[in-house]
Order: sequence, then C-alpha cells, then structure tokens
Amino acid sequence: MVKDDFIIKTTNLTKSYGPHVALNKLNLSVPHGATGLLGPNGAGKSTFLKTILGLIQTTEGEGTVLGLDIRTQGDQIRSRIGYMPEYDSLNPDMEAIHQVRYSGELLGMNPTIALSRAHEALQYVGLGEQRYRTIGSYSTGMKQATKLACALIHDPELIIADEPSNGLDITARNYMIETLTNTVLTGNRSVLMASHLMDDVERVCDNFILLHKGKLAAQGRIEDLKAFDREIEIHVWGGASRLEEAMIAQGLGVRREGRVMRILHEQEDTTSIIMRCAADVGAQIRRMHEYEASLEDLFLSIMENLGYDVKSSEDLLASPVQARKVDAPEHMGGGSA
Amino acid sequence: MNPSEENQPITEPVATQSVEYAAEAPVTGKGRLEAAWGSTEGDEDLSVSTPTTPKTDGQIFKQQYKTWNGELNPRWMRNWAILRHHLLGVFKKGHRPWGVAIRLYLLVVFIASMSDVGMTLVSGVIGDSGLHSVWGVSRDNLYGHVLGFFPRNMLYYPVVAALLVGGVISEDRQHGTSALYFSRPITRFDYVAMKFTSVAMIQGLLILVTLALYYFAEILTMGRGWAWIIDTFPMFLATVFSAILLIFTYTSIGLALSSVSKGKFFPGIALLAIILGTKVLAFIVSNLFDREILYLISPYDCLAHVGQAIIGTQPTYDQYSWTWSLASLAAMNGLALYVLSTRVSSMEVTRE
Repeated sequence: MVKDDFIIKTTNLTKSYGPHVALNKLNLSVPHGATGLLGPNGAGKSTFLKTILGLIQTTEGEGTVLGLDIRTQGDQIRSRIGYMPEYDSLNPDMEAIHQVRYSGELLGMNPTIALSRAHEALQYVGLGEQRYRTIGSYSTGMKQATKLACALIHDPELIIADEPSNGLDITARNYMIETLTNTVLTGNRSVLMASHLMDDVERVCDNFILLHKGKLAAQGRIEDLKAFDREIEIHVWGGASRLEEAMIAQGLGVRREGRVMRILHEQEDTTSIIMRCAADVGAQIRRMHEYEASLEDLFLSIMENLGYDVKSSEDLLASPVQARKVDAPEHMGGGSA
Repeated sequence: MNPSEENQPITEPVATQSVEYAAEAPVTGKGRLEAAWGSTEGDEDLSVSTPTTPKTDGQIFKQQYKTWNGELNPRWMRNWAILRHHLLGVFKKGHRPWGVAIRLYLLVVFIASMSDVGMTLVSGVIGDSGLHSVWGVSRDNLYGHVLGFFPRNMLYYPVVAALLVGGVISEDRQHGTSALYFSRPITRFDYVAMKFTSVAMIQGLLILVTLALYYFAEILTMGRGWAWIIDTFPMFLATVFSAILLIFTYTSIGLALSSVSKGKFFPGIALLAIILGTKVLAFIVSNLFDREILYLISPYDCLAHVGQAIIGTQPTYDQYSWTWSLASLAAMNGLALYVLSTRVSSMEVTRE
C-alpha cells in the first residue's frame, strides 16, 4: 500500500451549528509524526476532533484521515486510530487490565488477544505492576496512563491525545510526554496532541496547527516558526538609548525594555553590527545571547495579535508586520512576511 | 504512586574489591560491625568489601513499543463484547461490576420466582392434589407467575428492572465511559441495542427461565403427555409473550430514565414511581370514582390487561377493550424509546 504523505487532510472543512460556525473553511494537511493542535477555548478543537473521528457530519467541505473519507468511513477511521479523551472515561470500579481489555474488545478484538494486548499496553505505559488494581484507587497520572493504554491496545496508526498531561504532577507529566515521544520515535506512530500546555507540545511535536475562532491561524513546523522569529538578546550597561538609535539607524529591528534589548536576527552579520554600534556609541554589552521564543511566547503573541477585533486569520495575515509574528514561512504554507 | 515511580531503574549488585585496612584507613560503622558481630573467625586479612564504580546500566523496566498486526473482527463481535460485558458481570469479575447488593437481590428474586416450581415439585412428589390445584400450571398461575401484582410486580420484577437500568447508561455519562464506546466503531444504535438486550436478558433469566422451569416441572412431576402439552402450550406461549412485553416495557422506560440521568438513584426510583405510583393512582381513582380509565397511564395495569386478554384469565379491567391497553403500551414504549434515542444521540465523545 502506498503511504499517503499526510495522515489528515481537509479541504474547506466547515461545520455550523445553526448560525454558529464552529469550523470555517479549514484547509489542513497534517503530516506523519507528532502534531500539536493548539487554540484557545472555543477555537473549534473539539469540533475538529469529532469531525475527523467521523462522529459529526460536516456542513461543507471534505477531509480524509489515513486516506479514509471522514463523511462516509467514520467506522473505519475509528478502527484505525486510538483516541485518548481529555476527561475521565474509565469505570472506577473496574480493574485497569479489564478496562483496557474491554476497550480492545469494543474495537472487535478477540477477548483472549485483547487481554494479551492489554497486558502489553499497560506494561508499555508503566502500569505493569498495578494493572490489577481498580481504577478508582489510581492517581490522576495512572488514570491518564490507563486511557493511553486503551488508545494503544490495537496498535493504531494515529493516536489522538486530548490534553494528555491534564492535571498531572511534574513526574507523571514527564512520563506521559516521554511515552508519547517514544510512541512516535520508536513505535513509528503518529500523534495528534491537543493541549494547552505549550511546553508539552513543544517536547512531543514537530508540527503544530493553531485554530482560532474556527479558522486556521497558523500551521507548520514548530522549529521553522521559532526560527522565523529568532532574536538576539543583549543586556546593556550605559548608553542604551544611544545604542538603540545606532542599531535602528543600521536597519536592525530592535525591541527594548530598559537595559534589555532584543534585536531581530535576520542576517548573518547581525552580531557584528551590534558590537560595532556598541563600540561606536561607547555602550557596554554585558551579556549577549541568542533568544529563541518558546512556543508559549509565540502562541501568546499570535493570540494577542489575533485579538478579538480580528475577525479572521486573513485579517491578520494581510498585515505583513503582524504576519511575521504568526505565520510559518511561505514554503510551509504560511503568508508572506 | 506515579506510573514512573515503579519503573525507576534498579541497579545491579555492584562489583566489589578488597581494600586493606591500613593504619590511616577510616573506621567505618560497617567495619566495626563486622569486627564485633561478624560470622567469621576473625582471621581475615583485615580487608573489607567496598563498592567500586556503581553500575547504572541495566534496568528491569524498559519502555518498548510492541506492534500488533492482528485483524479486527466485524460489527457482530463488537456488539457481542458489549452484551458479554454486561451479562457476565452478573456472574464473574472482569466484566461490568454490578455490585454485591444487586447480585444478591437477583439471586433472591431468582429463588423466590421458583417458589411455584418448588411447590409443583412437592405436590407431585407427595401426590397431594389439593396442593397441586393451588400451585400447578393453570391459566391463573401462569398469569400470576409473570403479572401477579403481589409479590412479583410489587416486590420483584420492577425492583429488578430498577436496579438493572439504574446505571447502565447514566454511569457512562457519569464516568465519561461513553467516550470509550463512541471513539470506537460502535454506532449509537448498537450501543443502545446491546445495553437494552443485556438488561432484558438478565430479566428474562429471572422471569422467562423460571416460567419455563415451572412449566417443565409440571410435565416432569405430573407425568404430562403430549395431549396436555398441546392443550396448554398456547397458554404458555401467551404467558411468554406477556413476559416479553413486560420486560420490554420496563427496560425501555428504565433505560430512557437512565439516559436522562447521571446517577443510579434517579432512574431506579423514578421507574418504581412510574410503575407502582401510577398503579396506586389508578386504583385510588377507580375505587373513589368508579372510573378505570386512569389505568391507561399505568404500565403495570396495561400489561396486566393485555396479559389477561391473551392468556385468557378472568379480566379485571372490564370497562374498556384490552386493545386500548395495548395501544397505551405502544405509546409508552414509543415515547421511552424516543427519549432514549434522543439522549443517546447527544452523548459526547469529547466531553459530557
């Protein structure tokens, strides 16, 4: 079978609930590997997940998941993906091993095989020795791990994890992130991870999708997005204003907050220009380092720019100044800077 | 305990090397202990085992993703899994946990429902025709086995239905386990149909199986021949049909109530209130105003009326035709199934 380049593809995907448009002409291409699904509350993440699970009918447009049509092949899609819900989805009175086994049986697995796979899946998520305990006695981290085991039991090609690290302490959160990363790297499976925790998305995912008010706000490789907005941070002692003026005069993009300045790293010799300017105006640079914005910074920046006045991402992308901050490079499908 | 805590790497026993106790060697607690309480003779060469560089490699747990290339079975196997999960939960661990109290009550009702079986056996064994005329198979006794108000429809079957339907759907809302079903290739229809069937089958075990045992006990103990069987079998079938109607009605109303709730208590108590409350209300109105029309809102009265008509016992609802009761039952079931389907359609995968 020829492997499609993208695990999820949508074209003008629209879903309306009466007058409310939850998804508005969404054009997405999600590649293999790990992808983060980002967006504030009400952005349309849940509707998007339900749509690609084939649970709700689209109002307009089309899409495929693993090459299957979301409008007509929902059952087959759900057989081939593993869904890890955000909220509790486990019976607290059942033992984890039987809960995971039952989730396999619901996919059509033979009970004996499902039990065998349940042991493997629970072992994989780190609950090997705890699998005969009732779920009600589990910690939040163990419940999340059990949900992941339920999603992994049939070795799906795509795992959709909805807020997988929700409510976890640092240790459990790290373990969950490592497990998902391991699933992608050693298991060679794809993960679509919806999360509010940018740090988690950054650690697991290579790609991201950002939804805002039902529209696609940004999409691409996290690495590219971050590289696109790379800056050099300097801490100045004496003559900061003179240095700022000199650097602006040299055509550098400067953001200043007191003695700390961030200069856009757009050209190879930016560092040399900064040093020369500092020497010319007699300012001391006490510290200089590459500043790479975290995904969280970028997300906040994007959201700030989108704001509530902006009706659509097109409004935002129409402005080159703002577009620089929100979109991936042009070759990644973003707007032109 | 976090999943990761149990998976901390466990280091292997470290290699040891002998170290001479020189004059300047520090005196450790371990050395003193060995000198004072050691098991050797004291002729050792004053050396002690101390760990060399600890080995950190090697661990018991290694997270390793295992692939699976098996085939998933078709729809009927998924449906069987739901049915099996609910049915086997009554008898063994590892399936739907029904709770000890419910299982005990089911056992009590099963035994109590066999009272006529037991008495028929006793009457046959001791050859008492008087006892047999009271307990043996007859139109009235067959009707009584399924539709007798006391104790079966006052204490047994509605309570069984209430206990069974209480959490069957509501717990999926409560615990969010609906996501487990609907994120799999399970359709809403299959979900409801299998839950309905499993609850109905457990009731069937108590009502229909004991009814069949009662009928066969009569054949066995009284040595009934084909003539008797041919004579009474239509009556038995009519009773079976009445029982199926009763199970269907109690289950559909009960599951409808379960689908609008997030707890076990409301569906159970509401089902009892509907079955017993409407019966009492109709009874009071009938006695005070000599009007029986209100029985049409009582599921039990309608079932009893239809049951009396098809089994052929003496009717106690004689003001109106039994077809009114049948129509009322159809309306009740239709409404219940409508509520059930609407509520199950609205069950979410992403959040409840």
